[in-house]
Amino acid sequence: MRRCSNAIRVVALAGAGLLAGHVAAAAQPAGGDGGPEKPRLWGAQAVVVMTHTAPAIAGETLTETVLTQPVLSAALRAWGGRLELRGMANLEGLTLEGGELNPGAWGEGFVDRRHPHTLLHEVVGTVQLERGPAAASLTVGKGFAPYGTDDPMARPFVKFPVNHHLAQIPERALVIGAVRYGPAALEAGLFNGDEPEGPYDMPALSRLGDSWAARATVWPGAGVELSASHAWLNSPEHVGGAGLDRRLWSAAVRWARGAGPRRLYALAEWARGDELHLGERRFGFESVLVEGSVAVNGLTAALRLERTTRPEEERLADPFRTPRPHADFNILGQTRWTIATLRLEAGPGQVAGLRALPFVEAAYLRPTQAARPSLFVPGEFYGAERLWSVAAGVRLDAGSGHGRMGRYGAALPPAAPAPGHGGH
Amino acid sequence: MSVNRWVAAVLVPFLAAGCGSERVTDPGPGGGDPGGGEPIALPVLGHGPVAERYTAEVAVRDGWAYTTTWGRRAEVGNAVKIWDVSGDTPVLVDSLIIDGATTTGDVQISDDGSLLVVATELTPGSLVVFDRSDPARPRQLSRFQAASTRNGVHTVKLGRVNGRLYAFLAVNPSPAQLVVVDLTEPSAPEQVLVRPMGNPFVHDVFVRDGLLFTALWHDGLTIWGIGPPYGGSPADPVLLGNVKTVGGSAHNVWWFHDGASRRYAFVGEEKPLTLGQSSAGDIHVVDITNLTAPVEVAFFRLESAGTHNFVMDEPSGVLYAAYYNGGVVALDVRGNLSSCKAEERAIDGRCDLARMGRQIGRGLHDIGRPVYVWGVQLAGDDLYASDMLSGLFKLDVSALRR
Repeated sequence: MRRCSNAIRVVALAGAGLLAGHVAAAAQPAGGDGGPEKPRLWGAQAVVVMTHTAPAIAGETLTETVLTQPVLSAALRAWGGRLELRGMANLEGLTLEGGELNPGAWGEGFVDRRHPHTLLHEVVGTVQLERGPAAASLTVGKGFAPYGTDDPMARPFVKFPVNHHLAQIPERALVIGAVRYGPAALEAGLFNGDEPEGPYDMPALSRLGDSWAARATVWPGAGVELSASHAWLNSPEHVGGAGLDRRLWSAAVRWARGAGPRRLYALAEWARGDELHLGERRFGFESVLVEGSVAVNGLTAALRLERTTRPEEERLADPFRTPRPHADFNILGQTRWTIATLRLEAGPGQVAGLRALPFVEAAYLRPTQAARPSLFVPGEFYGAERLWSVAAGVRLDAGSGHGRMGRYGAALPPAAPAPGHGGH
Repeated sequence: MSVNRWVAAVLVPFLAAGCGSERVTDPGPGGGDPGGGEPIALPVLGHGPVAERYTAEVAVRDGWAYTTTWGRRAEVGNAVKIWDVSGDTPVLVDSLIIDGATTTGDVQISDDGSLLVVATELTPGSLVVFDRSDPARPRQLSRFQAASTRNGVHTVKLGRVNGRLYAFLAVNPSPAQLVVVDLTEPSAPEQVLVRPMGNPFVHDVFVRDGLLFTALWHDGLTIWGIGPPYGGSPADPVLLGNVKTVGGSAHNVWWFHDGASRRYAFVGEEKPLTLGQSSAGDIHVVDITNLTAPVEVAFFRLESAGTHNFVMDEPSGVLYAAYYNGGVVALDVRGNLSSCKAEERAIDGRCDLARMGRQIGRGLHDIGRPVYVWGVQLAGDDLYASDMLSGLFKLDVSALRR
């Protein structure tokens, strides 16, 4: 019955996506966010993906098909782009109630399955003023804290990297101030530390402003972007505020060139997360990730290499779930995930007026025990020392791409060219 | 400024911070010896292995031991192991399998030996009550499950008040709450109290002579009256006093009866840890002479390891503490623990039991393989220690009897 219900949801949402896509396609050309001169922008996206993982757990393979990343996005601009309202509804609460098979992924009560994002994924208002080489902006709403790198949803791969909770801080109620002068920008923001506890969760009002982040960015030219950021999160995994605090560091180099059918993109990032108890560091996790893509004449190839440690927590009867909030602050160990992911994407083609990009992703994963001895032994748990995961499907979208996700106002690159699909 | 200098200016401080920071690595054997006399080694008499599950708490009586199981290994922690411990080496004779449990975290035997109770986690939590008429084959009498226990029963302690037997359940996570169940009719447990408490957890309790002690994590230790002469009842505990122990993370407690003296309560602190690998947290000594104003007067710290559950040999004045990766520690806690020389005090004025030479015994820390000791129980000259990694140890503590 539950599978049937999910199938109905998938079909219904696919239909809604198509309808939204038709509306959006009628309103504007596909691709890019239209630039600041467009007063209204709409977009829709969904990815139908079949994932096969061997083994997924205890030596058993799993295969599933889901509708992932179903989003509707919109932006309204006024006063020559000085005021922008931007929003994104994420419907994964309907399509990914049990998460998406994604070995290595963790966070928000899920493990080895990516958690669904919240319905109100992003809604922010930004006021930006510019004079010559200087710009300043103020952003208020719910969205991404000024930390780390672009959201994985706006990057080449469908499957999320392990480091999502070390490298991005999404879905927070926040206030961000940003200034840019020439090729350099600084951002600082206050937000609520608590992470969502479910797809319909909203930030705890009592936690507003208890956490902060700051990011410095430099665009030296030739499509290169250098950034470094730091964040302090008060008790992200305990909404009452009594949990472990998290201290995050990130440094990244991003490079993008070209537009239209010939595009190049690369990202190298390092991230670190420390968990602290009463100011004392108790756990530390680290990530190095390198990814890149080449798009030429309708064929895109992408490669991602990642090495990230993650905490292992006690699991519920459903082995892909962990208790939230925790019953204590202990972990079972740390696993170091070494992953190589190759992606091929073709298109875009057209399906019922939508852009359609069929793709296949293949990942080789090697989880190893990063802390010995400890209670979590990856080889015993998964039933193998090495895992394979293959995902194939089609990305459907219409209207404007959602562009880069994770930056607002003056923190966006100066005179940025309209990004191609997905912003990468 | 050149591109290279921009790169260096932005990245170097961050990379330097990362390279210079502490890394999580193998800690090696836990524990360092305190000053004072050399603790005696507690000899291992025997070991009963458990390989397919992680072992948790232990309860012992009349030649029988029961160990619970935790989380997931090759098998899920839904078992209670039954051991014949009449000889030196514990012999596994049977197991109880509890449906729906992923952890059987705590186990207790009633004061008259007739009942065995087991707390189950995660959701849905419960308390399972067994008849111990045949200690080798406990028979399930009842299973208490209610909305109040849905999130998981983390620990259970039994206590008798006015002749009635009660189970005190610590239910976590949110909302953390104390649930009291009347077990006077063990086949029909009756819930008499649900009271939210703990910041963010109520982790464990201790019940004795009309007092209830609750370990409330960052809220420290709270003392309640639940019977004569303190007033209150299990259904309506009366708040008497509270102390926030240094460092918070108040995890477990033992109220020491040293003959007529009932001055000290010992509180275990559990800092966040990596199970199986490392641990940290002190034993805090709280003077409860004035129940309405308890005060911490001393502590014990073992470097590289943290304390877990206690048991006491009260006639001998010895506290045995499970110390996870540090094995087992025995402390001499007789006498005045708040009086010490200047060089035996910490900066905050508390007496340091390690500097006072109060550590008198040590076990399982040097047996040539890692241990992660969860609980300890005493029976005569024998100490039983449950090791999460390997099962049940039996140690000889006759040298510390007095």
